[in-house]
Amino acid sequence: MNVTRAQSVTVPAAAVRRPAWRGVLEREAVWSWLMLAPPVLYLAAFVAYPFFYGVYLSLESRPVGRPGVFVGLRNFALDLSDPVFWQVARNTFTYTIVATLLKAAGGLALALVMNQQFRLKNAVRASLLLPFIVPTVLSTVAWMWIFDPTFSVINWVLVHAARLHAVPSWLGNPSLAMASIIFVNTWRGLPFYAITLLAGLQTIPPDLYEAAAIDGAGPRQRFSYVTFPLLRPVLIIVTMFSVIFTFSDFQLVYVLTGGGPANATHLFATYAFNIAMGGGQLGLGASVALAMFPALLLLIMGLTLYLRKE
Amino acid sequence: MTGIAQPLSRRGFLRLSAGAAGAALVRPGPAAAQKAQTLSILHENSFIKTFDEYFRQTLAPEYQKAAGVRINYELASVGSLQTRVTTVAETGSGPDITLNFFNWPYLYDEKYVDLSDIAAEIGGQNGGWYQSAKEATFVNGRWKALPFGNVGQLMVWRTDWFAEIGVHRFPGTWDELLEAGTKLKARGHPFGFELGHGFGDNHGWLYPLLWSYGGREVDRDGKAVVLDSAETARAVDFCRTFFRQTMVEDVLGWTDPNNNKAFLGQQISCTNNATSILWAAKRDFPEIAKVIDQSQNPKGPTGQRYHLLNSWSHSIFTHTPDREAAQAFLRWLMQKPQLSRWYEAGDAYYAPFLHGYDDAPMWKAEPRNIPYKESLATSHLPGWPGPASRAMSESVSKYVVVDMFAKACAGASTRDVIKTATAQIKQIYGAS
Repeated sequence: MNVTRAQSVTVPAAAVRRPAWRGVLEREAVWSWLMLAPPVLYLAAFVAYPFFYGVYLSLESRPVGRPGVFVGLRNFALDLSDPVFWQVARNTFTYTIVATLLKAAGGLALALVMNQQFRLKNAVRASLLLPFIVPTVLSTVAWMWIFDPTFSVINWVLVHAARLHAVPSWLGNPSLAMASIIFVNTWRGLPFYAITLLAGLQTIPPDLYEAAAIDGAGPRQRFSYVTFPLLRPVLIIVTMFSVIFTFSDFQLVYVLTGGGPANATHLFATYAFNIAMGGGQLGLGASVALAMFPALLLLIMGLTLYLRKE
Repeated sequence: MTGIAQPLSRRGFLRLSAGAAGAALVRPGPAAAQKAQTLSILHENSFIKTFDEYFRQTLAPEYQKAAGVRINYELASVGSLQTRVTTVAETGSGPDITLNFFNWPYLYDEKYVDLSDIAAEIGGQNGGWYQSAKEATFVNGRWKALPFGNVGQLMVWRTDWFAEIGVHRFPGTWDELLEAGTKLKARGHPFGFELGHGFGDNHGWLYPLLWSYGGREVDRDGKAVVLDSAETARAVDFCRTFFRQTMVEDVLGWTDPNNNKAFLGQQISCTNNATSILWAAKRDFPEIAKVIDQSQNPKGPTGQRYHLLNSWSHSIFTHTPDREAAQAFLRWLMQKPQLSRWYEAGDAYYAPFLHGYDDAPMWKAEPRNIPYKESLATSHLPGWPGPASRAMSESVSKYVVVDMFAKACAGASTRDVIKTATAQIKQIYGAS
């Protein structure tokens, strides 16, 4: 008996009938929105709402525990006439630029080393992540002891090994205090750079290096003409994240110096916190925090445009 | 004999809180509709561990036994209490009662219940309140907090090292202290006074220094900015000399734990601190404890000495579902049988604001703490003689006065630091 193909796959109609809601769910537009809904709601609740509430607060004179009064851009005008605000702006840019450059250079170097074959490679790679894994407050307390004028291990070495009589005041001297917080930020952020760049390095096909070697390229040329161009998109992404995190850093400075000495290490985040929480001026504090926004927005827009072009 | 009073019986408690209960029956406000089974009180971790332990292990169970209300003692880590209080005040949910520092009753006044009747009652039973207690808690004619105690900032010094230079009593004036400090630094025993961005040890000596030279941030009306004066300039000049001749550079970056560590590490011979250094030394370094003494701040050229008022007080949030229950608890807590035991558990770290405790046994247990009690008469909030205000808080949170002195010590000119600080104060007091 000849049985057609259609007949062979025919099943009772009752069995193929699916509930109407399943049909709706299987539509791509519906399903994709369902999948997107949780992160969108999360972002709306924990990112968009606080952000727009912050913008709203910055336009009010809003003492803690009292209703606010709309003042327009008055808080921003007050910020601009505050000498400490400008010092804070300088500090934040210095901190971000220097720390990011150090992290980028150090992270790249570390990633190149980690990309080589050597014994205990995996153990070393895992240990590299430690500064990034340890909670910032905890590691910063450890750094507080390292920089402590009385118990500093660095100063102990300087006194006993280098025979120095006058030891540096790591957190008491304004320049050294800034250098110290940059150093700690670099120490903490380096693994993020190194691991991300290492992942990028491992996606570069070995054939390219072999072809370059056959063409007579030395190590430096292989880095300049193969490694770096292919790593650039990853480097840009990781730099963008790092700049955002560094620009809005809070815990490290708050624990280590509180913004001192004499505001030498105050950043936007710590200064905004002091005004809003300590001073009870929520509107003014929000305006200082929002002062970070234009710089970050420009940076993100610039990098995004660059990536699109790439 | 410790002088610890007997715990209050259930009957005693009922008698003491009869007033509150009566008021609740006569005038049951909307908030009284829900009868509390549990109350939460928010505190900050005390440096004196026995203080928190005594509340948790003794006072809270006693109150539960007496009143049938469970007390949750919620502790915030050191330095984080204000963030927590702000969150609670803004969201209108969380603990029923909170601890306050400094002038917080002014910051959160609209979120706090009026406690005037309890304050009057407790004051009347205990010889009255110190004026400084009122300075920190009496907001627009109402007590918005019940004063508890003052964590004074006084001079903590090494008697043995001072004796080496022939000084057996703490110098009475800043100039005499400078002279002693110069000699001590030359002998390898520098001073260490915080000039960084800590919570209190910086304000603790710099405001009193400014006041004792006649300098003020604002006038008595709290409006006219008077910081730019010859008196302020003299105070700044003195501070620079004091820093250079007696201290190490590190103090510019110190936060509050640093001077404790340096003193107990035998790196410094004198600092300005609460009695926590002596307390920790008695526990961990008994040999050092023997050579520690504590004294009131020196007098300035005005012939006056001053201290910073670091008032601890308790307030009830307006959002609490059962205000009467919270008031009954505070009324019970502030009664002598409870209060005197809690003070003693705190080892005189908290100087009572009630005159009735002037001769309390806790002062006899450690006479070196007596200056902390004596300092209450000359203690003021930052921003004094202006009234407590929000602007005062902003000025403190921006470290205006601290940084004025710190910048001068780091090398800036007196004129420049006063000019900058004055501009900041004008903006703060003009804007708030």
